[in-house]
Amino acid sequence: MNTEIKIRHLNQFYGKKQALKDVNLTIGKGMFGLLGRNGAGKTTLMKVLATLLPKSQGKISICGTPVENAARIRSMTGYLPQEFSMYPNMTVYEAMDYLGVLSGLSREERNSRIPGLLRKVNLLDDRKKKVKALSGGMKRRLGIAQAILHNPMVLIVDEPTAGLDPEERVRFRNLLCEIAEERIVILSTHIVGDIEATCEQIAVLNEGEILYHGSVAELTAMAEGKVYSAEISRTELSELKKKYIVTSMLTLGNNVMVRFLADRAPFSSAHRVEAGVEDAYMYLMRGERGEE
Amino acid sequence: MFRSLFAKECSQTVRSLIYWLTVIILSLFFFSQLGDINITGKPVKGQESYGVKYSDDEQTIMENTLGRLAEEYYRETYSTYPIGFHKSVKPDEEENRRIGEILEETAGIKDMKVIEGLMAEHYNTGGMIMTGLAVPPARGLSYEHFQKLMQEVDDILGGGSSYGKDMLKSNAMVEMTYEDAMEEYDTLVEKDRLTGGYARLFCDYMSVMLSILPVFLAVTRCLRDRRAKMQELIAVRKASSAAIIISRYLAMVVMLMIPVLVLSCFPLAESIRYASEAGISIDYLAFVKYSFGWLLPSIMTAAAVGLVLTVLTDTALGVLVQGIWWFISIFSSMSGMSGGMYGWNFVPRHNTVGNYSGFHDNFAQLAANRTLYAVISIVLVTVTVWIYAKKRRGKMDVHGKIFANRKNKSKA
Repeated sequence: MNTEIKIRHLNQFYGKKQALKDVNLTIGKGMFGLLGRNGAGKTTLMKVLATLLPKSQGKISICGTPVENAARIRSMTGYLPQEFSMYPNMTVYEAMDYLGVLSGLSREERNSRIPGLLRKVNLLDDRKKKVKALSGGMKRRLGIAQAILHNPMVLIVDEPTAGLDPEERVRFRNLLCEIAEERIVILSTHIVGDIEATCEQIAVLNEGEILYHGSVAELTAMAEGKVYSAEISRTELSELKKKYIVTSMLTLGNNVMVRFLADRAPFSSAHRVEAGVEDAYMYLMRGERGEE
Repeated sequence: MFRSLFAKECSQTVRSLIYWLTVIILSLFFFSQLGDINITGKPVKGQESYGVKYSDDEQTIMENTLGRLAEEYYRETYSTYPIGFHKSVKPDEEENRRIGEILEETAGIKDMKVIEGLMAEHYNTGGMIMTGLAVPPARGLSYEHFQKLMQEVDDILGGGSSYGKDMLKSNAMVEMTYEDAMEEYDTLVEKDRLTGGYARLFCDYMSVMLSILPVFLAVTRCLRDRRAKMQELIAVRKASSAAIIISRYLAMVVMLMIPVLVLSCFPLAESIRYASEAGISIDYLAFVKYSFGWLLPSIMTAAAVGLVLTVLTDTALGVLVQGIWWFISIFSSMSGMSGGMYGWNFVPRHNTVGNYSGFHDNFAQLAANRTLYAVISIVLVTVTVWIYAKKRRGKMDVHGKIFANRKNKSKA
């Protein structure tokens, strides 16, 4: 069975504004990360894949089915929108049951699948709780459960970790990785850490264009030898920021430990360090901004 | 899938606050208007009054209308209901002079003192006055010419007066005789089998409320998706747009018919009580038949208007549109309160247990009226399905455009 999403020459317009520019992607089974700033076009791409927006130009097929066949695509995709919510007065179980009916599941299928899924997302004990009483993290987990309720081949998850505390975020990432073992999961985020922890393949979107498409390791390799670390005084920090992109910093009394991007060591105390995904992402974006 | 979805929608409807508010308002209205329904039974000879009726007799219509015109001419103030609300019209000198000429031509009255005398004679009897002043028409006045001149008076007054062609009969309120009352009772018992007349009265009152209340239910149901940010979540599901919209619509209609049928049990129970005392047979299913034939199209239409406009605009525009339509319908149907003048009005009236002949003679029109609104509602629901299917695919973002325009205007 075809388990690929193929996107060819996708252009998307909102009136005169072009939100996606000649996007070409092939996405296979497993976790696929879509990284980019806010407004880069990630949500637009996700919505086109989820049949919530009609594509303006180009070709898209999901597991061999053209995206125009919305009814078929809907039965094989699950979607967790950026602003996820449910009817607040429904209980967790009722909400799942309602969405299960909308997904065309029979009563037997719903009765057998829902408890298992709620257990998987650690919400079984909260099944009688009203949706409005759930925490942000619990809601997101419920969001995942509803998205895979009908056992879709493709799961589209838009900015799922925004607003979650660190513990919930880690739990959520692990959950996504489990789910991705048997299906395509597309994770859109502007948080590099989410991608680093979960995805093998990624694409970086910037202003509607694909800046990078490949493995996380290859992206990291692009920044290899370009990342430096140094302990400098606070007074030197502003000068350094003017010349280089600082990817992280840690205050140590009157000094600051900085990590920054440079083609060569700018001063003797700076030493080269191993590049991370965040460094590589910043390196990629620096090139896009035309900075050195 | 559809049956499960329908059951879920019914359950959602029952658990919504607006549904129970609708039921409470409907019940309060019913009990305040029809709650103390008491079937008094056969008229008894020698009763103080047998009630009043509208006369079909042209002479009576002319006499009563001219009596009313004389009174209003004397007072120089005319009551009109141009959009349903009472409005006192004071014509200018020229207009009043013309009305005086018409009064002279139709009733032969030139002098105010004559009118004063007639009024004193009519009202100062010391007894109960059931009807207005009656003035005999001038000799040789044909009914057609009378109608023409009265229409001229109505035009002078700006319309909505008691002199328009459709309103002339409503001036001819006459006291019923024992024979009239017996005839009406016999018709009620024999032709209407008692419950038919009461079912029409029940539908008359209920249709006033059911022509507006369902729109609130429809609008809140559709806006609930937006408020709960469920639109996308539902849009990406396998269920067809037709299944989603029709299940919602049917759930609303069915859940609204339930309190209607429950409330109809009260006048039915009273009818059964009276029938057993009087030893007459009744039509036990009359309330059900009338409710489905008369009230169901009202519920269907009001709900469909709410549905289509909410799905299209994601706003409560439906309430405004239905509210205006309801308002106009209610007041434009006031001239036909006693039944028989159903026309194409959205709220056909029959505010009496009697007037079987008015119902019987105009049944085809009433049936056509109700069928039209049932068809309109089906068309509106079909359009809603089409709009919803478009919106699921990101098209027809009317709400976004409205609010984008507002933002642009406020920026400007």
